Formats: sequence, C-alpha cells, structure tokens
Amino acid sequence: MLWQAAISGLLLFLALGASARTRPHYGGTLRIEVHGDAWAPDGLARRLVLDGLTDLSDTGAAQPALAVQWSQTNHNQRWEFHLRPWVRFQDGTPLNAEAVVASFTALCANSASPNATNAASETECPWNAVYAAGPLDIVFTTDAPSPDLPELLAQTRFAVSKKDPSGVLEGTGPFQVSGFTNGALMLTAYADCWQGRPFLDSVEIVQHRSQRDQWLDLSVGHADIVQVPPELLRQAQQQHMNVLVSGPVDLLALTIPAQGVFKDVGMRRSAALAVDRAALYNVIFQKQGEITAGLLPQKVSGYAFLFATDRDLDRARAMRGGAFPTPLGIGTEPGGATMRLAGERLALNLHEAGFNARMAPPGKPTAMDLQLVHLEETNPRAALDEMLAAFSLNVTVNGTGPQALWQAESSALKSNTVVPLLWLPRAWAIDERVRDIRLSPDGEPLLADASLEGAK
Amino acid sequence: MTLRQKLLLTFSLTVVGVVAAVAWTISLRVRGVFDELHHEQTSALVNQFQREFDQSAADTSAALDRMASSDALQRIAFELANGGDTAQYLNTAASLAREYQVDDLELVANDGSIISSAQWPARFGYKEPAVLSAGKPAFLKEEDLPDGSSEIGIFAVRTVEKSNPQIYVVGGRNLNADTLRDFPISAGTRVSLYRNLSAGFSLGNFIGTSQVSGSSHAYQRLVDQARTTGQNAEAVVYPTSHREDSVNATTIPLKGANGNVLAVLVVANSRRGMVEVQRHIRSIAYGAAGLGILFAIAASLWIAARVSRPIEQLARAAGEVAAGNWDTSVEVNARDELGVLAGSFNHMTEQLVEQRDRLVQSERVAAWRELARRLAHELKNPLFPLQITVENMVRARALPQEEFDEVFNESTATMRAEIDNLKVIIGRFSDFSKMPRPQVEPMDARDAVRRVAALYEPALKEKHIELHATADSGPLPISADAELLHRALSNLVLNAMDAMPDGGMLVIAAARAGDAARISVSDSGAGLTPEECSRLFTPYYTTRQHGTGLGLAIVQSVIADHHGTIAAESGENGGARFVIELPLAVAEHSV
Repeated sequence: MLWQAAISGLLLFLALGASARTRPHYGGTLRIEVHGDAWAPDGLARRLVLDGLTDLSDTGAAQPALAVQWSQTNHNQRWEFHLRPWVRFQDGTPLNAEAVVASFTALCANSASPNATNAASETECPWNAVYAAGPLDIVFTTDAPSPDLPELLAQTRFAVSKKDPSGVLEGTGPFQVSGFTNGALMLTAYADCWQGRPFLDSVEIVQHRSQRDQWLDLSVGHADIVQVPPELLRQAQQQHMNVLVSGPVDLLALTIPAQGVFKDVGMRRSAALAVDRAALYNVIFQKQGEITAGLLPQKVSGYAFLFATDRDLDRARAMRGGAFPTPLGIGTEPGGATMRLAGERLALNLHEAGFNARMAPPGKPTAMDLQLVHLEETNPRAALDEMLAAFSLNVTVNGTGPQALWQAESSALKSNTVVPLLWLPRAWAIDERVRDIRLSPDGEPLLADASLEGAK
Repeated sequence: MTLRQKLLLTFSLTVVGVVAAVAWTISLRVRGVFDELHHEQTSALVNQFQREFDQSAADTSAALDRMASSDALQRIAFELANGGDTAQYLNTAASLAREYQVDDLELVANDGSIISSAQWPARFGYKEPAVLSAGKPAFLKEEDLPDGSSEIGIFAVRTVEKSNPQIYVVGGRNLNADTLRDFPISAGTRVSLYRNLSAGFSLGNFIGTSQVSGSSHAYQRLVDQARTTGQNAEAVVYPTSHREDSVNATTIPLKGANGNVLAVLVVANSRRGMVEVQRHIRSIAYGAAGLGILFAIAASLWIAARVSRPIEQLARAAGEVAAGNWDTSVEVNARDELGVLAGSFNHMTEQLVEQRDRLVQSERVAAWRELARRLAHELKNPLFPLQITVENMVRARALPQEEFDEVFNESTATMRAEIDNLKVIIGRFSDFSKMPRPQVEPMDARDAVRRVAALYEPALKEKHIELHATADSGPLPISADAELLHRALSNLVLNAMDAMPDGGMLVIAAARAGDAARISVSDSGAGLTPEECSRLFTPYYTTRQHGTGLGLAIVQSVIADHHGTIAAESGENGGARFVIELPLAVAEHSV
C-alpha cells in the first residue's frame, strides 16, 4: 500500500512537473533579429503593434479581428464592416469608425513608417471610397465586384493605425512601441489588448542584422529568433537548429518591362525560355521551395503545374533571332548576395541564348529585374489579386473558381513581362527557451501566444 | 655677295659645322650608352619578372597541392563519390580560396563541370576546359568575371587526392598592381602590365598605369606589335610633348598555355638623363658655335683688311675705268700677288690714258685734215671757174670794146655766181657749227609729213618722181621743234630727189611704232651699201661729188636733240630708206 502510495505520489509529482513545463509563463523579453526593416509593409513590427479589420484562418478565409462581422451588397461592390466594440488604441483612445477611416485614408496616401522618415510609398487600395456609416460601421465601395475584400483587408499593409503627436505608429495589437535602445526597436506588452495581454513583457527587434551576426547571436544566446534564408535552411537543419519553416510565400520572379530590346513580346518570351529554374532551385536555393512558372503556389492555386517550367534554349535562341546584342543590365535591388548570385546565373542563362546580359552596377538602369515578392493571402482569388497588384498586371479576374483564376493568370503571364521562377519559404531559427511560437500562413512569427521558458 | 661676306660665311659655316659634328658625335655616343643601359635594365627586369613569375607559379602550385591533399577536399570528394549533392558545395571554393590565399579557385567535377567557383559562383555546372592541364606546371590564364571583365593570373590544376571519380581544383593568383609593386625597380624605370583582354587596344587593360608616365596611348603601337607578333618590341615613346618625358620602352609578350599572348609586360626607362646630357652638350655646342662665329667675324675682318680691301679697291677702280674715268689708279701697299695686280692695273690705266690722248690727238689732226681737204675741195670747185673767168677777162682786153664788154659781163656774172656758191659753202659750214637748240612744242608728226610733202610735191612732179605720202588715221603727238624737224625731213627729201635723177617713187610715211612715232622716207634710187649705211651720218661723209657731207649729220643732230633715232637702210626692192623714230608725247603714251 505504501509502495502504491509512493508510486502514485511520484507519478503525480512527475505529472505536475510536466504540466509546469508546458504552461506558459508571463514575462521576459524576446529578442528577434531581422535582415530588413521591421516597419516594412509586411514587417514584423507592424504585425505586433497593429491589427487589421480581419484576419486569415489557416484555410485562407477571412475571420473576425477588429471587425466582428461584415456583409456585402450590390454584387460585392459595397461592403459594410461592423467594428468590435470596446477596443482601444494603445494610447487609450477608442477604436471607432472615424479612426479606421482616417487610418485607411492616410494609408492610401502616405507612408506606412511610424516616424514618417521612410520613403513614401502610396498604397494601391482595393476600394474606391471608404466612409463611416455609424460609430462602429464602415462602408467600402468599389467599381468592380470585390468578393475577396475581407481577405484583402487582412493583409498587414491594411492594418489600422494612428500616429501619436511624436509620429510613432500606434495600433490595437498586443505590443506597443516603447522606444529604441541601442539601435533596437523596443516593444512592450499592451495589457489592454482586445486579444488579451501577451505572455511576453517585451519584444526587442534588431533590424538590418547580417545573417552571420544573427546566427552568431543565436548561438551565444543574444537572440531568441533569427531569420533563416532559404538557401541556408539546409545548412541550419544540418546544424540541428530549431527551425520553423513556412510554406512557399515569397515569389522569385524576373520582371521584363516591355521597352527597349524587350519591347517585342517575342524577345521577352525568348528570355523566359532561356531561364534555367532548375539550377536556381537545386543549387542556389538548395532545393528549398518549389519551381514555378505561375503567380501562385501550387498549394494555393492547385493549377500551377500547368505552367511550363522547363528550359528550352533552342527555342529561346530561335526566338531571339538576329537581334542586336545590346548590353542588358539585370537589377536585383534591393537584394543580398544570394539574389545577386541568382541574377548572375540568369545572366549566364541569357548569355547562352544570345543576350548580352550581365548584372547592372548599383544605380544604373536595368533591362530586367529579379524581384522577391511576398504573398500574404492564401485564398486563391485574394492571392491572385495580391500578386497582380504587386506586379502591376492589369488583368480583371472574373470569378473565384479555379478556371477563372487560371484564365486570368494565363492572360497576365502571356505578355512575359513577369517570369515567375521559384516559390520560396520563410524560415526562422528559434531558441529552445521560446515556447508556443508558430508562424502565420505567410511565414511570419506569431508572438501573441509565445512565451519564454524560465521567464518570471 | 662681297668677298668679305663670303669669307665671313665660309668661316662661320666651317666653325658651326665642326662644332655640330663634334656635338652630334658626343650626343650619339651618349645615346648609345643610355641604350645599352636600357637594354641591361630591361634584361634584368625581364629576368626578375621571370623569377617572380616562377615563384608565384611555385606558390600557386604549392597552395593547390596542399589543397588537393587536404582532408576537407578529400571528404568532399568522398561524399560526392557516394552520391552527395554538389549543390551544398556552392560556396566551398570561396572559403577555400580565402583559406589558401588564392584569388581564383574552382572545384571541378570529373566531367569538367564546375561544382563551385570562387570568382564566379554562378558558373556552377558550366565546363572548365583548364582541367585538361591537370598536373602540368603552372601557366598563364585569362579568367572571366561576372561583371564582364577578365583577369590574367598564374594558374595551376590539381587532382584531389584519393578522389574517384576525380575532382579537380583549378586555382590561381592574379597578375595585378601588387605583383608589379613587388618589383625592385630602379629610379627612372617603370613597369606596367597590359592585359590582352580585348581585340583592340584599351587603356583599361593596363595594370599599374600610374607607373607608366604620361598617356598610356603612346604605348599602343608597341603593345599592339607585341600582341600581334608575339615578339619583343622596343622603341622610343613620347608620352607627352616634352622630350625629357620620353622613354625607351620595351614590350615583352606573355603567353598562355596555348601560345596566345595573354599579357604584355611594358618596361619603360626614362630618357630624361640622356636628354639632359644631350641638352647640356647642345648648350655647349651653341656657346662654342657662337664664339666661333665671333671668331669668324674677327678673322674675316682681319683677312679682309689684308686681302679683300685691295681687291675691293681694284674693283672700284675697274668700275671707274668702265665708266670712262680712265685716269684712275689704286694704292699699292703690298708686295704679294695683289700688289702686282694693283701695279699692273695702274700701268694699264696709264697706258689707256696715253693711248686715248694719242687717239684724240690723231683724230683731231685727221679731222682738221679732213676739214682742210673738204674745204680745199669745196673751195677749189668755184675757184677754178673764177680763175678761168679772170683769165678770159684778161685775154678779152685785147678784144674790141664791144666784145670785151660782152665777155666782161658774162665773166662778172659767172664770178658773181661762183662767189655766191662760195658763200653757200661757207654758210653750210657755219650752220653746222652753229646748230640751234630745238624749241620743242606739242605737234603731230603727221603734220610734219604733210608739210614736207606739200612743199616738195611740185618739184618732185617736175622730176617725174611719184610721191606717196601716208599717215596713220590716229594722232601721233610728239614734242618737237617744227622748223628743225621740217628742215631734217626736207634734207632727206632733197637727198632722195638727188638719188633719183631719172625719176622714181618717193614714199613718205608716218605711223605709230609702239611708244614712238615712226617717220620713214623711202626712195627708189640706187640704194646704199652696208658700209654707206654705217658711215652715212658721219660729218663730211658724202657719196655725192658736190656734197658737203653735212646734211645727214645735221639731220642726225636734229633727231638726237629730239631724243629720237635715225637709221638708214637699203630697201627690199632697192633704193634707200631712212627711218626716224621720235618718242610719243607722255600724255598720249599714257592714254
């Protein structure tokens, strides 16, 4: 009996201990290091500080966020969103329809940077007008039917924000800006967040950190989360790093403006046929992501395999014909060493087809550009709209079904001004003390539920 | 040019020529010495470059040998042999290149495809033909770079030890400015490397252009010569317009494994030292030449005082003699050939003066004799009738009074006529001695012709002489004394009448002849012999039995006083022709 009691007690203790390890603790500062700008349109800081009217579910469908319900009339050309009540900005002012309208109005005309010092980039908004229809009701109107507007509003760039008198962005998210310390952006937990207070007390984001330094900081415990570019994902895994990997969310594409030598679609087609996607995928990006010739990942569209990805050098040479081999510059700005390497490889591919292509020096005009475009949407229609807008492809999508989407995408790619190459994932190396962290569908870490082991 | 000037020029040219020849010889010798020095330095630099090249090749080969036998590469070869993915070694070449301190490095698979490239990472999968040189000594190679440029380097190819299938490493070190900087170059010597990376000459292909003075374009011809022929070339190069910046340049082609010229080593030795020495020599030569010219001037002056002055005096005296001043002599101060010459000249002028005096004296005597003879002849003719008449009158005193009176009257008439004849003869001699100065005034030569024709036309007709008087339609203005000219023409007409006692034809014409008015009087008489033509105007010369020989002399005197000329000639069809040319008046001539 005593033995049984002792064994039961031991099991109970062990069970309690296990329960204690899995239960998140409040407190602690999470340190994240990134390559780019945390306040970029899809940057990490915006995701932690701001919220959108809607959010995306794992399936890509819109789900309530700051808006709790919405409805459409006039064949998806008028959308009315009803705001969540009792939500307050981080400065204590209530969230209402006027504040949201003001946010969208400013967004469509101004920079998204909190201190307004970054270069202004006027956002292409998918509506014609937005206005308050009541204290908590907002109405969007569009010229054309926009059935995926709730999904589009879930994109980070359409997050609701306001600026305090000092110009710092404030939102309704789980963290708020508390300042800059030693070049790092400091975010502290927003206790009155409508989603509830996050477990973490604060988040420290170090921007523009080199890859080498990020990994070094992670290895010595100076960082908790660092980025892992696709080409190093294999190496990180070989080094047994704790890595979270998203699905394909970044499209590597070659954009060829219809001008100069490439004014003729045949020449653009020739360049597209000369591209060796397999070399990019197998070697430069170390077999990460997927080879593509479509604007959407196979997982999202379901028909991406229909776009041919094979290289046809003979046909490329034949289509190039006797064109004068004008020097053609390939641009990769902004881009790191891997983008430059990919650009050099494309230059070699094009050279084989008879084009006198080489990397353009920084600041020099280019004939084509290698771009990495991020995709947030996972809903097929919304995702296609997002990509068409990203590449400024003026194609109307008639419907939401796969056939309508395929026709629209085929029409967009027919001009060969955009040559999709690879879909790449996003990956993050996580320190072991970080718990309950997961990635959003578009590959960004979700920190609202994350905690630090050992935090007090 | 005077003798003095010739002497000065000769001395100056001689001095300058000698100085120039000496300076040129010295300058040539200096140039030879500097050229020899340049060749020695170039040879030393080429040897040095060869040693550096060999050393760099040995270093590169050693680095690749170490690399090929390293555990890391053997492990990679093993993994690849066991199905390992080549993609994971994309950046391996770059890290190995840093580790083994080579500029260029490629890992190449057994099939020649690049696994990893340090200098051009994107070239993975492409073929590298240099693997065929595996195990061979290091060689020169041109390596393309992603930005379209190229580099020249010393490369070696090695096989990774224990690799099966074989893995190759192709690596090298670039020839760059640092390579040249290691050269022990003496002052005034510059070395640069031209990389033969393009078909045409390009300044951008020079390494260490800062070490080549002035414009690198100046070296183009030499570089091109070395590139195309594959042989050394040398020449003097002028990078700037300043001669002291010129260099003795030698270009040495550097060839790759296949014999192509991949680079050209340019060795340039400054010629500043030589140019400065030559300039110094030239300055000295200028100074010596200047002094020589001064010496030449002094010497020529001294020699002129000794030689040329007597000759100049002789020349001046000869000139005076030629001008008619025979009473000229030169000073004789020397006993040399010039002294003898001067003495002979003085003797010659003395002889000339004496001969002239004798000639004048004899001519004067002859003239008087001729005058006496003429006077005697002229006077004797009337005196003879006078003598006969007087004798008749003496004999007539014995005749009856009436007959005596008749004879007396005839005799006195005859005597009066002969006395008049004597007066005429004496008057002519008097006229010749008292020719008046012409009173010139504007007139037309045609008027003179018309006047004399009108005057003598009746007399000519009586003698059955046909007169033809012609004149130009245009005016023939002359400045002349109308009376004197009329007398001269009358004289000619009278002579013509005398020449045609049986009739004939007389032609008087006035016409323009260039700048003169030509008046001709032609007859159809017996004509003139050449001797008569030449002596006709000599005073007292006459072809007629009763002529005084003064008529034509007076005519010539008149014409000469009018600045004209007169000539006598035989006509083409016989007869005589006198041609007078008088200058046209200036106003008419200018028109």
